[in-house]
Amino acid sequence: MDFSKVELTDDEKAFQAEVREFLDTYVTDEVRKHDRDTGDNFDIGVHRALADKGWLEKEIKGAEGWEGGFTRVESRIWHLERRKAEFPWVTWGTTVLIAHSVAMFAKPELRDEVLQGVYDGDVRMCLGYTEPEGGSDVATCKTRAVRDGDDWVINGSKMFTTGAHNSQYCFLITNTDPEARKHKSLTMFLVPLDTPGVEIQPLWTVDGDRTNIVYYSDVRISDKYRLGEVNEGWTVVREPLNKEHGVVDAVIDGLDDVSILQHQGMYIANAADAVVAETAKEDSDGNRRIDDPLVSVRLGQSLAKIEAALVSPHMFGRVALAQAMREVSPVLMDIVGPTSVLPIDEPGADLSRAEYVYRWAPLTGIYGGTLEVFRNMIAQYILGLGKPVYAAPKAPAAS
Amino acid sequence: MDRYELRREDYSLTTDHTDLQAAFAKLFQSHCGIDEVRAAEATGFDEGLWKQLIATGATSMAISEAEGGDGATLVDLTLIAEEVGRALAPVPWIDHVVSARLLARLGALAGDEAIISGTRILALDAAGTGTSGKRLVAQGAIADEIIVREGDDIVRVSFSDKPARVDNLAKLPMAWVDPGAADTRTPVAGGPEAVKAFELAVDEWRLLTASALVGLLEATMRIAAEFAVSRYTLGVPIASLQGISHPLANIAITVESGRNLGRKAAWFLDNEPDVRPELASAAYVYMTEEASKSATFAVHVQGGLGVSTEAASTAYLTRARGWPLAGGDPARAAVRVAELAAARETAQASA
Repeated sequence: MDFSKVELTDDEKAFQAEVREFLDTYVTDEVRKHDRDTGDNFDIGVHRALADKGWLEKEIKGAEGWEGGFTRVESRIWHLERRKAEFPWVTWGTTVLIAHSVAMFAKPELRDEVLQGVYDGDVRMCLGYTEPEGGSDVATCKTRAVRDGDDWVINGSKMFTTGAHNSQYCFLITNTDPEARKHKSLTMFLVPLDTPGVEIQPLWTVDGDRTNIVYYSDVRISDKYRLGEVNEGWTVVREPLNKEHGVVDAVIDGLDDVSILQHQGMYIANAADAVVAETAKEDSDGNRRIDDPLVSVRLGQSLAKIEAALVSPHMFGRVALAQAMREVSPVLMDIVGPTSVLPIDEPGADLSRAEYVYRWAPLTGIYGGTLEVFRNMIAQYILGLGKPVYAAPKAPAAS
Repeated sequence: MDRYELRREDYSLTTDHTDLQAAFAKLFQSHCGIDEVRAAEATGFDEGLWKQLIATGATSMAISEAEGGDGATLVDLTLIAEEVGRALAPVPWIDHVVSARLLARLGALAGDEAIISGTRILALDAAGTGTSGKRLVAQGAIADEIIVREGDDIVRVSFSDKPARVDNLAKLPMAWVDPGAADTRTPVAGGPEAVKAFELAVDEWRLLTASALVGLLEATMRIAAEFAVSRYTLGVPIASLQGISHPLANIAITVESGRNLGRKAAWFLDNEPDVRPELASAAYVYMTEEASKSATFAVHVQGGLGVSTEAASTAYLTRARGWPLAGGDPARAAVRVAELAAARETAQASA
């Protein structure tokens, strides 16, 4: 057990300073404002600058444990500092996740080409999992890929392909054997998004983010873009899902997030800290709002819930953080009062951004699978309750 | 607070930790089953179990070596508290060790072997707000001495005839105590520093109570989960119904969250006491709110069998509420969390 400050070597201190300087230079208020306005969660200028630094390559190599990557400490510094700077990160996040699968499952030629493009900043990748009628079960896949000589022809559509409009490839789940059991029917492709027949339509979400619906109409791609074996797509897709679900065992050096969603969870923690700071200020009569139990009791209860969620490990934390964001953000807004409903760029707005967390919280309950998926996993694997029983509706009686 | 400060987040236990856990788990498994818990309900105290417990050094370890103890950490104590809770052990261990540590902090322990070894039992008036008059003290009927706060003074009081136990929800050895009517009153310390030391003792009491609630909830959750697997409705085990399995999963989340929060709070009090002092009360606020909800659901899963006074689940239900409430209104702990956070944020703003 250890929660101490990490003792940095001179080189690590220099790296930390370099990271801070980089973020100060490139992740400006303008970048953040642009991000709020577009919901892009990606900034090409910052991304190019990162590629020039060589840090994209170092991050991937570090995550894979390859030579030439960030060390564990450097990686932790980079993650913490960029979160603090509110670096627009989502498209890079999906790229890192998929790069892992490309490294494991792509043919050598495609692998080398894609990874080099990722290092150079030219290649970004997005996840093509969810379908309009699908939901959390990624194995319920209607998008079809049909073999045609050395090619595959893809037809179907995917929801929530976040970052597609800034990506070159989509990590796509397709159905290649509609007759087979669902986990034996899937094949994964890395689909170049400039292929004819791919149509990207924007969709904005209540938290201000942009995502996409992507339509695939007779999209013809070479077999070169297949990842893993035909009908063995489940093996491929499980890799990043395990990472996204946080069920992969962590190295015990205290330099990993204890669960996923720590980035999101920090927003509710920072919101609570901001409300504490604001209510602890003295007014002109020397009074502080936080000395009123109406304020302090609710703030104390909110902080307790937040701190418990932040320390909650792997899939437990996945649920706890999303719940804390949902339960605490309205309470913070109550304490702040009417100004909490103003948009952040409006003069007089509440700077805690509890209102933003309130709009973001529903999203955090579906990223990488709904809260119900994770509760199912806890029930099955931790409590030994078995799988849920689902009863299909009875077929209507023949008339 | 800079929540992005580069610190380790390592909750792993050493083999010393896991050995300690295993030793106390075994002791309670052997000597404190549900029958023993029920048998002790008339007095709220299992004296035989207490003797076995203190023979293992469970009280002396809470005191530093310099003060004549064995110098365990607060993290160690959270591990033991969790086992106390898991077994619903009817022993005044939490109250005694935080009281003894308070006396040590105030320079009043003076190597008192009877207290260090646990043969002379101390109680803490954890719910005390500094006022005078009669109050309920959780371990008041069995304690040899009770430590109370009166205004800015910390006082040890004792009675030649121990106050009579009153029946109560959690079957604690609870008694009405009027410090003013005590036969012996020994002032320990006074002034703001003494009050701070007392508040820290209350924080430690809250922290260890939170850890006890973690063990308590985990135990009642496991019993409910086992029941759910074996109980069928309309041809399927009720465990397969999400109306049952998801609330049970929520209890598992509470257990994991509360456990890590307690250990983190303890680590900071052990190593950097000024950095995150609010976490001890935060763990208590969180676990107190969740404990009653969770213990009620564990009863609910077992339906008509769960509500029986003979069911283990009802023993957990009553203690899930009564144990933390011995520390007074949990809202006071929430205020403490807010005050400590405000001090932190204000210090940062002026830095």
